[in-house]
Amino acid sequence: MTQNTRYQTPRGQVSAALALVVIAAFAAAPALAQRPRPSQAPEPSPRPPVPAAQAPAGAPAPAPQQTGPAPLAIAVPPAGRLVAITNATIMTATHGTIPRGTILIRDGRIAEVGPDVVVPPDAQTIDAQGRWVTPGIIDEHSHSAIEAVNEGTNSITAETRIRDVLREDAGTLYRQLAGGVTTIQVFHGSANTIGGQSVVIKLRFGLPDDSLVFAGAPPGQKFALGENVRQSNFQSQLGQSRRYPESRMGVEEVLRDAFTRARAYQREWQAYEAARRALRRGQPEPVPPRRDLQLDPLVEILEGRRLVHCHAYRTDEMLMLLRVAHDFGFRVATFEHGLEGYKITNELVAAGTGVSTFADMWAYKLEAWDAIPENAALMAERGVLVSLNSDDDERARRLYQEAAKTIHYGGASEEEALRMITLNPARQLGIADHVGSIDVGKDADLAIFSGHPFAPGSRVEMTLIDGRVFFDRNTAPTLENTIEQMQHQPPRRGGRPVRAGGAQ
Amino acid sequence: MTDAKAPRRQDARGRAGAVSTLALALVVAVAPVAAQQPSAPATPAAYAIRNATIVPVTGPRITGGTIVLRGGRIEALGAQVAVPADAQVVDGTGLFVYPGLVDAGTTLGLVEIGSVPGGDDTQELGDFNPHDDALTAVNPTSEIIPTVRVSGITTVLTGARGGVISGQAAFIDLMGWTPQEMAVVPHAGMVVTFPRVAGRRGGRRGGADQPEQVDQQTRALRNYFADAKAYADIKARLAAGQPGTQETSLPMEAMVPVVRGESPVIFDVETAEQIRGALALADSFHLKVILRGAPQAWRVADTLAARHIPVIVGPITVTPRDEDPYDLIYGNPGVLARAGVRIAFQTTSASDARNVAYNAALATAYGLDPDEALRALTINPAQIFGVADRYGSLEAGKVADVIVTTGDPLDARTDIRYVFIRGQLVPRTDRNTRLYEQFRARPRQ
Amino acid sequence: MRLVPFARAGIAVLVPLLAVAVPARAQGGPWVLTNVRIETVTRGVIERGTVVIRDGLIAAVGADVAVPADARVLDLAGKTVLPAFIDLTSSLGLASTPAPSAGGRPGAGAAAAASAGAEATPVGLEPYRVVADELRPAAADVKAERDAGFGAVLSAPNRGAFRGLSALVPLRDSAAALALIRSPVALHMGFQPVAGRYPGTLLGVIAYERQAFYDAQRQGALLDRYHASPRGMERPASDRRLNALVPVVRGELPVLFAANNENEIRRAVAMAREFNLALTVVGATEGFRALDALQANRRPVVVSVDFPRAPEVTGWTFRAGIRHAPDDSAAADSAARRVIEGNAAALNNAGLRVVLASGGVLRPAEFLANVRKAIAAGLPRDVALEALTIRPAEIAGAADQLGSIEAGKVANLVVTDGDLLGDSAKVGAVFVDGVRYEVIAPAAPARGGTRGAVGAGAEASAQVGGGWTVTVTTPQGSQAMTMTLAQSGDAFTGTMTSEMGSLAVADGQIAGRTVTWSVTVPMGGQTMVVNFHGEIDGTHMRGTAELGAMGSAPFTAEKNP
Repeated sequence: MTQNTRYQTPRGQVSAALALVVIAAFAAAPALAQRPRPSQAPEPSPRPPVPAAQAPAGAPAPAPQQTGPAPLAIAVPPAGRLVAITNATIMTATHGTIPRGTILIRDGRIAEVGPDVVVPPDAQTIDAQGRWVTPGIIDEHSHSAIEAVNEGTNSITAETRIRDVLREDAGTLYRQLAGGVTTIQVFHGSANTIGGQSVVIKLRFGLPDDSLVFAGAPPGQKFALGENVRQSNFQSQLGQSRRYPESRMGVEEVLRDAFTRARAYQREWQAYEAARRALRRGQPEPVPPRRDLQLDPLVEILEGRRLVHCHAYRTDEMLMLLRVAHDFGFRVATFEHGLEGYKITNELVAAGTGVSTFADMWAYKLEAWDAIPENAALMAERGVLVSLNSDDDERARRLYQEAAKTIHYGGASEEEALRMITLNPARQLGIADHVGSIDVGKDADLAIFSGHPFAPGSRVEMTLIDGRVFFDRNTAPTLENTIEQMQHQPPRRGGRPVRAGGAQ
Repeated sequence: MTDAKAPRRQDARGRAGAVSTLALALVVAVAPVAAQQPSAPATPAAYAIRNATIVPVTGPRITGGTIVLRGGRIEALGAQVAVPADAQVVDGTGLFVYPGLVDAGTTLGLVEIGSVPGGDDTQELGDFNPHDDALTAVNPTSEIIPTVRVSGITTVLTGARGGVISGQAAFIDLMGWTPQEMAVVPHAGMVVTFPRVAGRRGGRRGGADQPEQVDQQTRALRNYFADAKAYADIKARLAAGQPGTQETSLPMEAMVPVVRGESPVIFDVETAEQIRGALALADSFHLKVILRGAPQAWRVADTLAARHIPVIVGPITVTPRDEDPYDLIYGNPGVLARAGVRIAFQTTSASDARNVAYNAALATAYGLDPDEALRALTINPAQIFGVADRYGSLEAGKVADVIVTTGDPLDARTDIRYVFIRGQLVPRTDRNTRLYEQFRARPRQ
Repeated sequence: MRLVPFARAGIAVLVPLLAVAVPARAQGGPWVLTNVRIETVTRGVIERGTVVIRDGLIAAVGADVAVPADARVLDLAGKTVLPAFIDLTSSLGLASTPAPSAGGRPGAGAAAAASAGAEATPVGLEPYRVVADELRPAAADVKAERDAGFGAVLSAPNRGAFRGLSALVPLRDSAAALALIRSPVALHMGFQPVAGRYPGTLLGVIAYERQAFYDAQRQGALLDRYHASPRGMERPASDRRLNALVPVVRGELPVLFAANNENEIRRAVAMAREFNLALTVVGATEGFRALDALQANRRPVVVSVDFPRAPEVTGWTFRAGIRHAPDDSAAADSAARRVIEGNAAALNNAGLRVVLASGGVLRPAEFLANVRKAIAAGLPRDVALEALTIRPAEIAGAADQLGSIEAGKVANLVVTDGDLLGDSAKVGAVFVDGVRYEVIAPAAPARGGTRGAVGAGAEASAQVGGGWTVTVTTPQGSQAMTMTLAQSGDAFTGTMTSEMGSLAVADGQIAGRTVTWSVTVPMGGQTMVVNFHGEIDGTHMRGTAELGAMGSAPFTAEKNP
């Protein structure tokens, strides 16, 4: 009954049966084929290298390292053709938990999963004895790794694209990998009624920013309602003009006006296309309408080709957007935060709208006053597609703990809790064919935990994306190994060694 | 296939389901009137939780044990303890009994909604406010207090932040009609934020001004303590009968117990330099020191252990600096504990205080022994604030701050079934559960 | 000759502005430079030859050129003459606005722009802004550039998204003689938002620029159609913004795009591809991280030598995923610095044509010092010389007029006593449009340093030679050391002596009042580099010593009597 897993003190431990054996070629891999990119000679490790896994027989010698910008690049993790994770407890998210099984990965995809998978001799093996494997965590609401978040000068900035401002070397991506996250949706901020176009990325830390983009993810758009849009909580700056709207009623007007213009724009282009098709020889070509980068994405929304993600807290504003969407014939994919979603589950289910929310954060704004920690579980119980998100670099690192909270607040099942950070956000983002569960054919995006992911004392040991290891605690810089290195430093002047814990 | 490890549930869901369970188990229903008032006339004389696994913290576990609460105290606990005839019986089969949990750094009762200034009493103007008393500003009917309580946190340190000297923090039980009733230690420590250099990483040419500002602030702090010491010395001499007068200064009066080493100083520190500065200041004035925050305390763990300086770590839910290893915040408590430092946990929050045990859970994944984590949430803060004779563990005679759970309180899946503060059963309702029940009852379409 | 009036005008303008320097003497031609070593740049080096200057042009150059009778003869035996340098990243003569740092972080300039407050000058969204109409160069600024060996600069505004149309400006003193070499040269663009209105962030700027280009494409099509046959067609709106952009989207007017870090470079190149722009990247301090994009763009690159600090460079934080020694940041920093300084060399090695530029931030002396660093880091010296002369002339569309010593080109020349790109040789004289400007190095050590410097480089370099007592303050207390320095131009060497022994002072540099140097401290088998940087005020220095991972500590230094 107890969830206590006795955690082993890390210092000097080499646990007999629990060694995670990693592909030794981590640092010796040939450079990524996608783009000629200077790769790095491996840094000398202060510890003896982890013994190589069963090296594939007849494997080609690793390509010699090009010297490049050493401290400004990172060894790109190798693309192993065949990787096997063995002896693991596998939480699939779709078909239960396999108490002791194997995942076989081929070319970055899950080729087989089950208790009786035969591991080919040329596979690189990760022995996950005693470990738990889950699908890589998907954070549906993030603002990480970007150089700008809020173009707040106009109330509609649908023409802006988060994709344009990605910055691939944000250290937070690595820290989120260390928390088991593999895919995130990066959003424009919530200052505008209609914000910018979002982007879905995989946390392939170390690769250039266009290698982060999740190929094939449907496009999305950020909408926002409520206090942030009304700028209720910001003092207006001297000299800065106040921006419409300043009330929730004004927000509705902005929305209806925008979609009305989008409809007119759509018809304009349809008429132009029709005129061109009907053109006879000798007739002058019709003048095309002006291409409007702000209305293009709104037309895509009207045509169901772009997902609407709307930041909202209160029932009245959520119901308002559902009405607007109904009037204009589109679906709202998710409400972001939706802290009062538990009050309108009937309407959400009828509209086919999901909610991506917090586990238990509340009381920070007036519109969060009716938030309850049972929100996620209750909505899920009533048939709403629910995910838990972070909206924050720090919370993103422990979404597995946030998911566990829904079990005791509101009694969600363990399966449901796991789905809230894996399969459900994948479905909300339209990428569930590729990620979100451990199923044959899906991308090998996986998190390997030291114990049950919801148990206290469990941490992520390894994170894979497309079958490549992007986080490995064995080679990560940790507090533990920092202390060890400090203890081995030569004496400073004065003759006393620098010690962690010693007076310095 | 099934969730074999999930806590067993009755007919209804989760914690709110425990309300109906409680109604079945108890003979007399507790009326959930206002947020936290003790109940109406029909309060039992005693409670007995039977056949549970009891975790005293200061002693070995007792399986199949019984614990009896009477008169606000723990009357008895053990494997063979008899259930008194006048006790309300709680069936503890499959359940666990722990001491109430402690968040050793909050703003509970001092702030309601973060973005609404009217309800925010966490900060005063000015840098030196030793005479500010957090206890006076605690709102006993804060809606947030019940939401924290039902998660098993029975006692917290609450206080103002900001400036250099923020005043006295109060150690309070989360039950009482008035702040004074809630108080366990009204003046638990003088909160001091040690000056630090801001923005060391920024700028192409690091400003030479910034270290000077820190020097200046440190000198000002030092001078303030020197003034307080002088004031206290004069006061003592006058009290001993020597002739003369001294004008009463409220701030200086507040500093007297501090410079006399009677009241500890709680130093809020972030960097190793601040810790060294704080210890140097403490040495100069013979202060009793508690460090708080202190994510870099691991660097001087041996020193702190040797000097018996306790550290209240947290919040654990923050990111380390860019140049730190990714698990620095998570691993710091474990390093301290292994070196022998007495640690406790803080969330620094009001609405997030209910998560203090989960903060500790994160640390147990990175080197903190789980038993040590439990001590850090119970007996350690009691010791730090000088009330270990009455609080912090399940022992006969101690105050009955007791929680009954479905499992490890550090486990986010665990339900907290019953919470007792000073022997009174805390109603399992709060603002959150009322809304939950209300909308759970809405008919589906 | 018109010598005296020029001199008088020069003195009248310059004396109130300079504390100690001696005004330049400008002299018209015709001139004959004899016995001089000539680096033509395009036609090789003539070890000992003759240059004839007449009517502002190079009349003849060669080993055996006849000396005309009506020219003043200058016997420059032992000297070298090069084409005067060209800086493509200047804002000379435009209303002073704080230039954004060219370091890796984007948007740094936006903060500066926002804090500069409401400006009468335009806002950074004017593709129609003609720099030539606004130029008011300050004589001190002109002189500072010229004294370092520059003969012309490309001047453009340095803030905003659509910054304006630049002009190629000869560095002459007399405003009346300010005949611009070329205008407009290019549309200058950047990714910098404007303060207080849309687009206020990078998000908005990119969308704004793309929308503007789409609109310009349409405008061009409409105008063409209308001009071909106006009958029956509504007259296209007259929009000066769009009209200015039509030649840009047709590739007729080149774009010089300020893009420094890797992502900025990629975004600029992507925009060029999307709209078929004739786009040259300017800045490219992280070009080594985006070689593929620059190669795909198939144009030369204007490389700023305003080196960013290592932690600002994209990829620095990748170290978060690698184990490294607790205080290796100093070692990583110096390794990174080598890479950063090797940027131009890396681009050159990748087959890209390179122009070297100041980034609009560096003062001329710093600019050349950093060029020397780039050469030390692997850029061939002759490529560097081309990158300062003929390559920028090509980009500015003035290759027929400037950039090399050939008959018929404009007589913009530098006379030096050594290799200007090697150890610090001195510039003796500069010719601009055939007008000779003598360059006299500032004499006595600055008394207490100059205050309130007017233009870039207008003040004399401070003097640091001699003995100092340096005090470094750490939380453990203060540490005193003695330091003995010897100065040579803008550089200095010396030793620092403490209880640990003596350490050599390395990389000693003075720029105005800013003093920087480093020492390498041995610690057992490892070393730690301590970087000092501070400000000197006569006999007193104050600054910061950076101790790698151990943070930084303030220091002061007093000159020993």
